[in-house]
Amino acid sequence: MQNSQEFSKAEKFWMNFKLYQLWRFVVLNLKILAAVYQSKRS
Amino acid sequence: MAKVVVIGAGFAGHTAALYLGSRLGKKHEITVISNRDVFGYVPSWVWVGVGHMKPENTIFKLKPVYDKMNVKFVHAAAKEIHPDDGDQYVLGEEVGSSKEVRLDYDYLVIAPGPLLNFAGTPGLGPENGFTHSICSLPHAIKARDAYLALCDRMQKGEKVKIVIGTGHPGATCQGAAFEYIVNVHKDLVKKGLRDKADILWLSNEPAMGDFGVNGVQVKRNGHVMKSQEFLTSVFNDHGIRYQVQSGVTKIEEGKIHWQNYEGDEGTTDFDFSMLIPQFKGQPFKYIAKDGTDITSKLTNPAGFVLVDGKYGLPYPELAQTPEAWPARYQNPTYKNVFAAGIAFAPPGPISKPFTNKNNLLIAPAPPRTGMVSGVIGRVVALNIADLIEKGEMTHSEPMTEMVAACIASMGDSLWDGNAVTIVMQPVVPDRKKYPNEFGRDLFTSHLEMGVSGAWMKFMLHHTFIWKFKALPGWTIIPE
Repeated sequence: MQNSQEFSKAEKFWMNFKLYQLWRFVVLNLKILAAVYQSKRS
Repeated sequence: MAKVVVIGAGFAGHTAALYLGSRLGKKHEITVISNRDVFGYVPSWVWVGVGHMKPENTIFKLKPVYDKMNVKFVHAAAKEIHPDDGDQYVLGEEVGSSKEVRLDYDYLVIAPGPLLNFAGTPGLGPENGFTHSICSLPHAIKARDAYLALCDRMQKGEKVKIVIGTGHPGATCQGAAFEYIVNVHKDLVKKGLRDKADILWLSNEPAMGDFGVNGVQVKRNGHVMKSQEFLTSVFNDHGIRYQVQSGVTKIEEGKIHWQNYEGDEGTTDFDFSMLIPQFKGQPFKYIAKDGTDITSKLTNPAGFVLVDGKYGLPYPELAQTPEAWPARYQNPTYKNVFAAGIAFAPPGPISKPFTNKNNLLIAPAPPRTGMVSGVIGRVVALNIADLIEKGEMTHSEPMTEMVAACIASMGDSLWDGNAVTIVMQPVVPDRKKYPNEFGRDLFTSHLEMGVSGAWMKFMLHHTFIWKFKALPGWTIIPE
């Protein structure tokens, strides 16, 4: 964040850049699944 | 043959019923008693509340699912629980006929969801008050109608004031209110009406982005980013004003009364307001064999069921004692009684409570909805199955070990929608396991905004409804 109170232009660009967002979607899914299965003890 | 009764069919109760049916349904008797005969996918009621989703797309009938899972369904409201040995049963009242229903049990899961305590704040709520709620489907529909009527007024050129947040100093579920406020913003932008509305976030949180979990912190590019600065940026970016550290004490027509940390009393005017009420436990009566009321033996004063947590620790000590949080959600007196979801009594708040000079306690309660509810429902069900089949429990998952994901959407479009994605590991900070000042895994914890969050939210809506309908592969979908 630019000054901790607003998003910079670059941040806003990446938030809407679909190819990058596809990558973040994959990362996020993997992160959640890893954390869930790590805590899902049997 | 063992008899298991589940009270409630929300995230916790329904999840428990599915796992119990799957593990025990063919050999034992599993019964769900609920005053609603449909399952409601609560996270999407935010979209119902702005008119972006049809209410019927968020619900489905429970009975066909339970028939498939060998679970009996009783459409009745539970009233009394008789937990004493030898004669253990739940008394209910059948919906429609008001006929008394008696369900004997060997194991009981109490998971009825919260009592929405609108009465805790005079003038709050859509039934006897002046504000709206998205905590139930009828409330979300009412909020939608009021919001769309407000949009009509704005279209005629009227300028309006919208206030969204929490309606009680001890309210929880700030995440749902946050999601609603950003959806309202996004909808008004799309309608070309944003300049006609002054939008205010009014909350009991100690800081922006606290969410009742002491905020979320993540490590990114070597720098610790906090939800406080992130959410402040979101609100600044959207032109949403904010006021935290405020407990709403009373509502009058068009006027909200509040007190803040300094003890100042103030009012805020509104044309439309959605404020989350305080949650309490459902007011069941717990009756002993001799007919005496033993409710206080099983529940705390707010009506939440006491389980295997360590109660009564002062906040500074609780914050350093992760083992105080329950792991099996089992009542210590009646070992065959379990509580799941909102129904269990947490040992205390996660966020730092504050009492102002007027003795008003402003303290967000710990959130136990959504993923947390589902996980607890699963743990309780698997432990009951263990007890029946092996005689001992093998599952445990305290909130100090539990991961939770929350996707706060900002518009539902898959092209230009947006969402804040929040992952917390664990939900309740464990300062012993994670010796940083936040007590969390800063690598796994996640805080990000982008269109990928909108895709995630869309995916979750469909995969969770798939899971809750117990369609093929439902067990591999995490809670």
